[in-house]
Amino acid sequence: MKRRLVIFCVAVAVYAALIAVAWEIGTRQARKNTEWLLDYAVMDVHDTVAGAIDTMLGHVARTAVRHIGHANAMSMERMANGAKELDIDEVNVVTRSGRIIASNDPFCMGVEMAGDPVMDAFMKLTNGVTATVSQPFRPHARNPEFRAKYLAAAFPGGDGFVQVGLDERRLANILPSILGYIFDEWLLGKTGCFLCADRETGRLISNPSRHRDMAKSLAETGFDIAAAKPYEIIADGKNRGKTFKQRIFGEYCYCRMFLFGGHRFVAVLPQREFYDTRTIFVSAFAVLLFAVFTALGIFTDRVFRDSDRLKKFYADDASRREKDMTIAKTIQMSALPVDIPPNPSFEISADMQPARDVGGDFYDYFVLDSSHVAFLVADVSGKGITAALYMMTAKTLIKDTLLAMHDPAETLTKVNEDLCANNPANMFLTAWVGVLDLKTGVVSFANAGHNPPVKIGSRRSGCEFIKDRSGPVLAFMDGVKYRGQTLRLSLGDAIFLYTDGVTEAVDENNAFFGEERLEDALKAASDSEPHHLCSVVRAVVAAFSGGMAQADDITVLAMRYIATPGAFSRTFPSTQEGIAKASDYLDEVVSNGGIASLSAKLHIILDEICSNIVKHSSASVFEVVIEVDEAASAVKLVFTDDGEAYNPLSHTDPNTSLPADKRPIGGLGLLMVKKMSSSLAYRRENDRNVLTVELAIP
Amino acid sequence: MQIEKKLENGKLTLAVSGRLDTNTSPELEGELKLDGVSEIEFDFSALEYISSAGLRVLMTAQKAMMACDGKMTVTHPNATVKDVFDMTGMSSIFTIV
Repeated sequence: MKRRLVIFCVAVAVYAALIAVAWEIGTRQARKNTEWLLDYAVMDVHDTVAGAIDTMLGHVARTAVRHIGHANAMSMERMANGAKELDIDEVNVVTRSGRIIASNDPFCMGVEMAGDPVMDAFMKLTNGVTATVSQPFRPHARNPEFRAKYLAAAFPGGDGFVQVGLDERRLANILPSILGYIFDEWLLGKTGCFLCADRETGRLISNPSRHRDMAKSLAETGFDIAAAKPYEIIADGKNRGKTFKQRIFGEYCYCRMFLFGGHRFVAVLPQREFYDTRTIFVSAFAVLLFAVFTALGIFTDRVFRDSDRLKKFYADDASRREKDMTIAKTIQMSALPVDIPPNPSFEISADMQPARDVGGDFYDYFVLDSSHVAFLVADVSGKGITAALYMMTAKTLIKDTLLAMHDPAETLTKVNEDLCANNPANMFLTAWVGVLDLKTGVVSFANAGHNPPVKIGSRRSGCEFIKDRSGPVLAFMDGVKYRGQTLRLSLGDAIFLYTDGVTEAVDENNAFFGEERLEDALKAASDSEPHHLCSVVRAVVAAFSGGMAQADDITVLAMRYIATPGAFSRTFPSTQEGIAKASDYLDEVVSNGGIASLSAKLHIILDEICSNIVKHSSASVFEVVIEVDEAASAVKLVFTDDGEAYNPLSHTDPNTSLPADKRPIGGLGLLMVKKMSSSLAYRRENDRNVLTVELAIP
Repeated sequence: MQIEKKLENGKLTLAVSGRLDTNTSPELEGELKLDGVSEIEFDFSALEYISSAGLRVLMTAQKAMMACDGKMTVTHPNATVKDVFDMTGMSSIFTIV
């Protein structure tokens, strides 16, 4: 607003300055025009008057030539009579040789014209070609106090000529008759006029018709003769006099005055016309300039308004984006699952840290039934509120479908169809969905373009990226059939899910965090509970990024498989008595568990392993866990003791083909266990020996 | 575990029923009084299973018989017990009837 005011003021100032310049130019131009008009008028009038006098004298001279007939000497009396008849002041008859042989003026008689500085010009008449020669008024040769004008006309064949002379003083009588008709309708400019007054009496002989009744003399017009600047017109017309200002007929006028034939000639141009010219010029310029300025103003205003609107739009957009991000963040955080009730079979923990521009990360976990738990991590394309809303849709769809179908691959196939059916914004998402069977440790999963999770085994078995054959991203292409895959978690194993916010976090050198660093971090904390695993990874990523802004959401999810649901577990003293009680306990389980067919084998295994613990490990107690998984047709025995680290699997099997006297007796028990079980594993965990034996139910 | 013991003309017959494991094998070992015995028969028709502790007792008896040119037989083992003998290589040492 302020800027507009400034521009308006500047425009007004520029406008005023340009008008002032135009005024000055207009003034100069008007003055020039005035001078030119007056010049033109003066010359025109002078030429007209002079022409009229020449015409009159020419007529007189030719009349005299006709009367005289040829150059002969005539008496002065006759010449004086002739002059009177012709109403002329002087008449001379001149011979071919240029001698005045007859005149009404005795002073002229016998004068030789040829060679005279002034008169010689008339000698052209003797060539038989030139008819008349005229001279302007000039001081009279005999009496320089007055001026006279001479004109001569030749006798036929150039045989001498007649010269007539007019005394300037006589013009007062002649001029009114020849000038009246010239001046009456003579206009100078639009309303200007010419005044002509007798030099002696001041009587006006010319007067514009509109003023005829008002003034009889020059003084009555308001003309101040004393202040005038008169001049004589000289034949060459170079002296044009000076313009002066007078008040005539009640208005200021620019004037020129010249003297001619005893008369004052005054050219009068009202000042009003001078102003008119300037006013028209300046007004036209002002209007044109105004139009240009208005056009420029409108254009500039539009430009400013557009730019203001743009600025406002961007400002609004920024604040709206900020608001959007807050809303998006709220949606995203509120979409995360509430903690599920503690379950002895697994531990799960997850964390999502939204970036400033909120990406579309989400995770979810929920119990499907008593022995299945679903967990997933996904990343919606795009950022902000659109991504957040799409995330809500996708999350709800996945959960509902998975609750109904239980199978990750079928779920993704169905969810993909649903998302593709209505996806105007062309969003898409990656997702890794797993369902853990708590009885078997088998994770069924399906992947829609998501980062490979990490399976975290014991320290010995280490970490492993589950690099499966992934399906395409969700909502991208309909008709996709996702492939179901499985992996197996042993008791104690964990699985770690994450989004690309982890692996694609960058340090100050723009290097990615990457999978190797993730694996290292997970290895270092492989025994930790899920919550700690998540914290460790987040801390390592944060340390790696240093001060770099978090570009994308960072999501981590860790789950550890702890125990089979409904597992039987009891702890016994590490004595022979303890072994007997464990055997009784096994009987108890077998009688409830529908695994009677395995009774003998289970007892043998129990006997072998427990006696090993009691004899060799100096343990105080040992725990026996018996898990029966009918669905998987397997029985699992887990023996844990607090004795010295001892891995029974590290021994080589005894040679069972030696003769009896050389046959070693040790190691046979474990050999049997190995042969009877479908899997056998040892790990040292939390200062305990853990031996896991699995048997297939036939 | 229960043991029925019969000694006739230098032949010791031991009918073992129940379970032969770490808990019970010391008892069986105690019954093996081999003075004047030249033949041993373990009647396992009622034996549920045998663990390595039981095998140890049988090996002791087998070695004692081999030392005095005697004879040892194992009769009527059930499938589980026979499996144990097979997987531990005892089938090649014992005379199983």
